[in-house]
Amino acid sequence: MKLVKQVGATLLAGAMAFSLVGCGSSAAPASSAASAAQSAVAAASNVLNVMVEVEVASLDPQIATDGTSFEVIADYTDGLMQMDANGKAVPAIAESCDVSEDGLTYTFHLRKDANWSNGEAVTADDFVFGWQRAADPATASEYSYMLSDIGQIKNAAAIIAGEKPVTDLGVKAVDEKTLEVTLEVPVSYFLGLMYFPTFYPINRSFYEGLATGTFGTSPETVLSNGAFKVESYEPAALSFSLVKNPDYYDAAKVSLDGLNYQVIKDSQQAFMSYQNGDLDIVKLSGDQVDQVDGDPELKVVGAGYLWYLTMNGHDVPALANANMRLALSNAVNRASIVEDVVKDGSVATYTAVPPQFATGPDGSDFSADQTRFAEVCSDDAEKAAAYYKKACEELGQDSFTFELLLEDQTETQNVAAVLKEQIEGALPGVSINLKVEPKKQRVEDIQNGVYEVCLTRWGPDYADPMTYLGMWITDNNNNYGLWSSKDYDAIIADCTTGAYITDAEARWAALYDAEKIVMDEAVIAPLYTKADANMIKANIKGIEFHPVALNRVYKNATKG
Amino acid sequence: MSELSVSHPLTGDAFLPDDFELRGSTPAEVDSNFASQNYWKDVFKRFVSNKGAIVSLVVILLLCLLAAFGPKMTGYTYATQTLSEKNFAPRVPGLEKFGIFDGNEALRTTSGVKIINGYTQKGLTDTYYWFGSDTLGRDIWTRVWEGTRISLSIAVLAAVIDMIIGMSYGLISGYFGGRVDNIMQRIAEIINGIPRLVVVTLLMLVLPRGFATIVFALLITEWIGMSRIARAEMLKLKEQEFVLASRTLGAKDFTIIFREILPNIIGQIITQLMFSIPTAIFTEAFLSFVGLGIPVPMCSLGSLISDAFNSFTTHPYQIIPPIVVLACLMLCFNMLADGLREAFDPKLKEM
Amino acid sequence: MHKYILKRIFLSVFTLLAITLVLFTLLQFMPGSPFNDEKLTDDQRTVLNAKYGLDQPVYVQFGKYVSNMVQGDFGVSYNISKNTPISQLIQTRLPVSIRIGGMAVGLGAIVGLIFGVIAALNHNTFWDTLCTAVSVLGVSVPSYVFALALSYTFGFRLSWLPMLYSSKAEFASSVMPSIALGMFTMASIARFTRTEMLEVLGSDYMLLAESKGISGAPLILRHALRNAMIPIITVLAPLIVDLMTGSLVVEKIFSIPGVGSLLVTAIQSNDYNVVISLSFIYSAMYIGIMLVVDLLYGLIDPRIRITKEGGNA
Repeated sequence: MKLVKQVGATLLAGAMAFSLVGCGSSAAPASSAASAAQSAVAAASNVLNVMVEVEVASLDPQIATDGTSFEVIADYTDGLMQMDANGKAVPAIAESCDVSEDGLTYTFHLRKDANWSNGEAVTADDFVFGWQRAADPATASEYSYMLSDIGQIKNAAAIIAGEKPVTDLGVKAVDEKTLEVTLEVPVSYFLGLMYFPTFYPINRSFYEGLATGTFGTSPETVLSNGAFKVESYEPAALSFSLVKNPDYYDAAKVSLDGLNYQVIKDSQQAFMSYQNGDLDIVKLSGDQVDQVDGDPELKVVGAGYLWYLTMNGHDVPALANANMRLALSNAVNRASIVEDVVKDGSVATYTAVPPQFATGPDGSDFSADQTRFAEVCSDDAEKAAAYYKKACEELGQDSFTFELLLEDQTETQNVAAVLKEQIEGALPGVSINLKVEPKKQRVEDIQNGVYEVCLTRWGPDYADPMTYLGMWITDNNNNYGLWSSKDYDAIIADCTTGAYITDAEARWAALYDAEKIVMDEAVIAPLYTKADANMIKANIKGIEFHPVALNRVYKNATKG
Repeated sequence: MSELSVSHPLTGDAFLPDDFELRGSTPAEVDSNFASQNYWKDVFKRFVSNKGAIVSLVVILLLCLLAAFGPKMTGYTYATQTLSEKNFAPRVPGLEKFGIFDGNEALRTTSGVKIINGYTQKGLTDTYYWFGSDTLGRDIWTRVWEGTRISLSIAVLAAVIDMIIGMSYGLISGYFGGRVDNIMQRIAEIINGIPRLVVVTLLMLVLPRGFATIVFALLITEWIGMSRIARAEMLKLKEQEFVLASRTLGAKDFTIIFREILPNIIGQIITQLMFSIPTAIFTEAFLSFVGLGIPVPMCSLGSLISDAFNSFTTHPYQIIPPIVVLACLMLCFNMLADGLREAFDPKLKEM
Repeated sequence: MHKYILKRIFLSVFTLLAITLVLFTLLQFMPGSPFNDEKLTDDQRTVLNAKYGLDQPVYVQFGKYVSNMVQGDFGVSYNISKNTPISQLIQTRLPVSIRIGGMAVGLGAIVGLIFGVIAALNHNTFWDTLCTAVSVLGVSVPSYVFALALSYTFGFRLSWLPMLYSSKAEFASSVMPSIALGMFTMASIARFTRTEMLEVLGSDYMLLAESKGISGAPLILRHALRNAMIPIITVLAPLIVDLMTGSLVVEKIFSIPGVGSLLVTAIQSNDYNVVISLSFIYSAMYIGIMLVVDLLYGLIDPRIRITKEGGNA
């Protein structure tokens, strides 16, 4: 009798296994018909159904820091400038802008027809209020450095440090529709910062009329001056919606009736919902890209993030040796990592500044030429072995053990497992131990220099190579390897505050010189530039994708 | 019974031995509990008669053997990646001729179902992945058994340690009673008041990732159940004559607890141990899904399932082997424990 | 009796306090500060720590923590929803979790009872084996795999039920999560019912009842099941707590705005304040349920009450 028990159990297990296989193999024409019917229903309404992976962290433009929050805030808020389809800054709330001869004063003239959704006009004072909030230590804005280090707005650094009152910030309302900004030093990309949500305006009287801490927590506690307005939202909501803002100054150009956001954390559920017609745009995981091979609805867009290895030359003697770092960098097979592991269209990267986000004076991509540093950075195990031999001689040692620190995400864990194999395979005598930590811990460890090698990432804050190159100057917070070079510091200083500020061409050339130093010394080993594999329904046109600041802009999108 | 020459009181006819036959084939009822003084022999007999438990035991032993030797059977190691051979469907020599396990995989794409065979595409005639290969081109057969080994080690280690701790705690608490018992029970109650999920998750966040941490997190919550059983049994036994007897003979407290009473409750303890092994395996699998499981490059059944979960709709064959092994382990350990319980506690068997 | 109830309540409160202390201590050991992002500078971290009072001595923080907690203030979320009071997050999400959890328990308990009774009545037959196998498999397939398989089959291929939770179709979109979640309850109840029923069926009073001519449904329902039910109530309590574990993964997969998915997000984004607060909520619910069951049990079965009182005296 008990034998039957066993047989029954085995059969059940088998049946389950079979049904799982069945899931994968048998086609279902019936359901595709059903889903076609569903998508017809979805298409009838002119509302875009958008999938995002994480909840909106904040609708407060000066508090938000993540891509999803920025995207949603920008759906219903316009800054002084906005991004066009190519990522260039074009006038939005500001009609025009005068720049003084010395490049230190920007005068913005605001459009007369820009209004908040409560009917009040968008004034220069709203910007002053928003920017002062960003700089105010009481707000504790994590992106306040956009005003100080990056924007170089007068007194911003001192205000953030609590040394001066916020009213000293170099921004003032000359009249209701004129805003004057004063900088510490000329900043060539300053207009390009104006679409960054940290610089968005907040209606002062509206904000001050709300109970403390309630701003941006419901449709009633936010004001819109952009293409859409918030219809339903609550903090950390998994679904929320926006509708077209009829009072938007550019409303004639907005064709969508609204946006429905749905947070989905499981990529398979997301893709199934997309195939059912419940969603119009989803992001796929690398594994799923196999399933949509050759599908015209697949659209790969750059996400801007550069994943790279940082090596602690300060505390690990072997990694202080440039040949050793070069050996590690060349031992990695980046092409294989993007094709076989990441698979979502990410690009193998051989330059310290990743491609696809910064365009130069002549309009070309700063890092379009990925073979520029092929001499010192390529997928070349032989070259790696040669560097390694030199390093062994110089260090008088022929076996090394490094600890590779990484965070606990699936993709990074896979990449790290492959890196371990590649490096150990190319450099006999080197062994890599993986150490997995939660992200916060990993970041803290590399900032404190408690690591040997770390797989980390950096996303661009603005469309200029300096967002990367600025990291490796001596004593920079994000110079995790504590590397230092006087020549390098000098070039960067010239590019930010010195000789090249007004000469764009010369600055560009100097940036290449700086990058060459980083690559020659293998301060970092760049790996790949992250991309998102999106599926977008064929009837959706005009969604604009950007690697910087605002990842997706729907203002000009149509659903036909 | 041979002297059945009694005559009928009424008719006077004498009964012949042939007039009677034995009722049923069993000999006269003998109180086996009383007759055979050897308790363990009895337990063994009862256990052996439980086919379900025996089969479970055999399956568990088989899985243990596979966990020990499986990874060495294919020539791959659990960490070897052959990126050019990723996502290959299972192919087994011999079976491939029958149209199953031939490396064919039906991939559902948005442009229809495609039959893919990685082996023939790459012209590999002599390459066999019995369970297929995963997203990094690692042999799933090897990884499943390696994972089974790790999962079993975690579970058994956690279960044994929690048995020792829980048992001692419960026995001591129950034996001494009074204030000692009161304090010990309050402590246990507080620890028990925090849901297991919470304790395990928090510990996994605080401590560095790894094998030892998982074992620690598992055992810190599991010993309570064990201590309860031990305490209850102790309360039942401690007033009995044999305890009194040995106390009168001058035995020390700890001798009584561990030499006199412990052997009497070892059955319940072992049963509980068998129940806690599958729980531990399962909890580990849950931790892996939340991202708190065993770190790379090591693998466990849980981490294999949660990795393969990501390609569940693309390459479903990858998730089947670890799930089937997990289910078998759960089923067999539970049935084995059931069998043991029935063997140790004949009352359940009487029905 | 009153003394016993008071004692139990007092103990529960004490346990909760102790848990708060444990949680707070663990919070101090959490890796990394909550404000660690590549983009933050040291100055900013100092400012942030000051803003949230993380720069004060630990005992001051603890005092504040407890007094705030008593007032229902769990602090604010650092990452998931910046500066939003956690109590507000929980308020909107707890009802959803409780509703789906309730459906799952109900479903699991009823189906489990039926399975268990069938298995016990047909002890050592094919049906017994089938029920046992199904219930063990129910606990051995991880709920996330089960959830996705359900969603794939009934949501995607057959299009019978919505794949994602939607507040517009609350019931329909709660069906699949409830089944996935209730699987564990079902399996455990089935196994437990079987054991209890077997014990009851073999007892003397059942023999008596049978010999008095009672048979069929009345015998099973009125006499057997009723007595078997008492111990089943006790396992239901820990099962409800196990349900919380299941809710973590199931809520994540079906995009349900409940506390379970919030906890997963909090763990993965290292929002420790939320992790600790939810741990507290979970513990409080657990202790609450245990207390209620204990008291109920005392009411139903006087023997327990007496021994308990004796034990605690």
